[in-house]
Amino acid sequence: MTAWLVICTIALTWLGAGAVWLVGDSRPRWQHSLAVTFALAAAVTAVLLIPQATDEAVITLSVGGMFGTFTFVPDGLSVFLTAVATVIGSLAIVFSVNYMHGEAQLGRYYALVLLFIGAMAGLALSGSLFLLFLFWEITALCSYALISFYNDDPKAVRGGVKALIITQLGGIGLLLGALITRTYLGDYQISTLLAQADTLPPNILSLLAFGFLIAAMAKSAQVPFHTWLPDAMEAPTPVSALIHAATMVNAGVYLLARFYPAFAGVAGWKTAVATVGMVTALLAALMAMVAFDLKRVLAYSTVSQLGYMVYAVGVGGVFASQLHLFSHAVFKALLFLGAGAVIHAVGTRDMRQMGGLRRQMPVTSVAFMIGAAALAGLPFFFNGFWSKELVLEMGLEGGPLWAYGGMVLGAGITAFYTFRMVWLVFWGEPRGAAHAHPAGTAMRVALIPLALGTLTTWLVVGPFGHWLADTLPYHHLHVKTTAEFLRDIALAPATYVAIAVVGLGLAAWWWRDHLTGLAKDLRGLAQFAANGFGFETVNRVVVNLTQRAASALQLTQTGDLNWNVVGIVGALLLVLLVLAG
Amino acid sequence: MNDMSILVAGVIGLLGAGLYGLLAVRNLFQVIIALQVLVKAAVLALVMAGYASGNLALGQSLGVTVIVADTVVAVIGLALAVQVKRHLGTLDIKALATLRR
Repeated sequence: MTAWLVICTIALTWLGAGAVWLVGDSRPRWQHSLAVTFALAAAVTAVLLIPQATDEAVITLSVGGMFGTFTFVPDGLSVFLTAVATVIGSLAIVFSVNYMHGEAQLGRYYALVLLFIGAMAGLALSGSLFLLFLFWEITALCSYALISFYNDDPKAVRGGVKALIITQLGGIGLLLGALITRTYLGDYQISTLLAQADTLPPNILSLLAFGFLIAAMAKSAQVPFHTWLPDAMEAPTPVSALIHAATMVNAGVYLLARFYPAFAGVAGWKTAVATVGMVTALLAALMAMVAFDLKRVLAYSTVSQLGYMVYAVGVGGVFASQLHLFSHAVFKALLFLGAGAVIHAVGTRDMRQMGGLRRQMPVTSVAFMIGAAALAGLPFFFNGFWSKELVLEMGLEGGPLWAYGGMVLGAGITAFYTFRMVWLVFWGEPRGAAHAHPAGTAMRVALIPLALGTLTTWLVVGPFGHWLADTLPYHHLHVKTTAEFLRDIALAPATYVAIAVVGLGLAAWWWRDHLTGLAKDLRGLAQFAANGFGFETVNRVVVNLTQRAASALQLTQTGDLNWNVVGIVGALLLVLLVLAG
Repeated sequence: MNDMSILVAGVIGLLGAGLYGLLAVRNLFQVIIALQVLVKAAVLALVMAGYASGNLALGQSLGVTVIVADTVVAVIGLALAVQVKRHLGTLDIKALATLRR
């Protein structure tokens, strides 16, 4: 039963991808309905998998040779990420029915999105490191193809290639980890690594730990690898929104949370993870503060919130990171879909051209503001508040104080840029000449459940924690009931510090006219942030160096048969010498 | 001089001739001929290995397989050479190198 659910979750999406492709672009209506059907079916199987979660392998395929045994282990972490990926992915597809209406090459679009969702589910469910790596690479390839979907736009193609290269860097770390695990422990199983991590030589274990950290940083867009995510916003909104911001980037956090028990003892690893998270959260929040492109603000805020999750893992709060991942997936999907509806309606992404949209788009604006309140961490009714407070509380207990200070400051900046964004888009007077029309039905259908989710998912914190703890034998999560959680958070002094800082952030936007003196002093910083803190320059230098190295190496590629034979014979002689010696 | 050393000398001679041909010639037809000579060294080596290990039938059948595969290679190579001549007007392999800077 469980095995079939696991198979169905992956296979349904991939079958759907094939079906949409085969139907052909001449029948777009069929393509829309097929994609929605298969995606929703996969989401249903993934949700049905939730009560079946177990820490044992339900599918075991002996592939033999270097590939080892492929297993699927639907434990709490896996099923949770699978459910997030398939549910949000299917919402993205429902949303696409309106958004992509009348676009050319729907077959390619839907096939790639479905393939991506299936690969994401496979990534989460696989119990073998090698299989994990395979799915990891499939998601990277799909994301590259989707970012470059408008392949006549050079910016989109550049963004796609950049995402591919950066996430490949991470993939190398992961492959290295898989091979090391096999060499030292005999197989690729994640459970073997978690159980026997302390039998590895310490230097090998720290190589593994930092290799996986780099993999996670690249996938989850952590500083200094964050530059690909804002550029991924060239993709059609459902893709950039849901696929990248709410799904794929979670894979990195998943990786860290999954292997936390193995690496927690490695000297300096936890501090490194917490530092990466803190720096990312702060820098990305600062960049979100000065951006004017609506999708870019959301992309930076995603990077920043991912920083919170990574930080949570670094201070030992695996459960806090997963809870924040859950909240964030819901409210960020809501924000991105809302932004998509707005962009679809006004035809621009520049927030300076918007304003006053709350009268023209009432449903969208209310939904968007609910999501924004959760992102800002406004107290009590929003899921973002509870999970962020839990992260901060864990940080105060288990992490260095300077990192905690950075995170609290980040929370204030988050509130500031969220409020700025909502104000520029929905309040004030209309600034653009464009006339906005309300969102389509399918868009609203996708928005409303997410808005309700944002208001309610914090109520399941207790059951969610117990469910995770029951199926993760190595993580030793300390979980409580919902009531205990809420009481602890509501009574913790850390909460009130954070609320005060969030309030300060809101106040700073409200009285921004009185702060012009301060704003002038900070203009240099703002300029620096608008330029992405120079990471874009670093990026360009690396790209240029690589290209120059490639053209230097071109000398060795003459395309001349005679020289190639010299190479072959030389290599043969070398091998013979080595074998003889 | 026993049988084995004659065979080894044959293999090395054919291998050397083939490799020298691949290194030195520039005419596409001659390249294909050199390749054929090289593969014949491999066939002879297979038969020799079968003879030396007392498993001559296996060596011979492998040799026949290589001859079949090699014939296909030769045919495709010659067909490509004809196309090269038609498109480029020459059989000089230097003309095929498009990777020039």
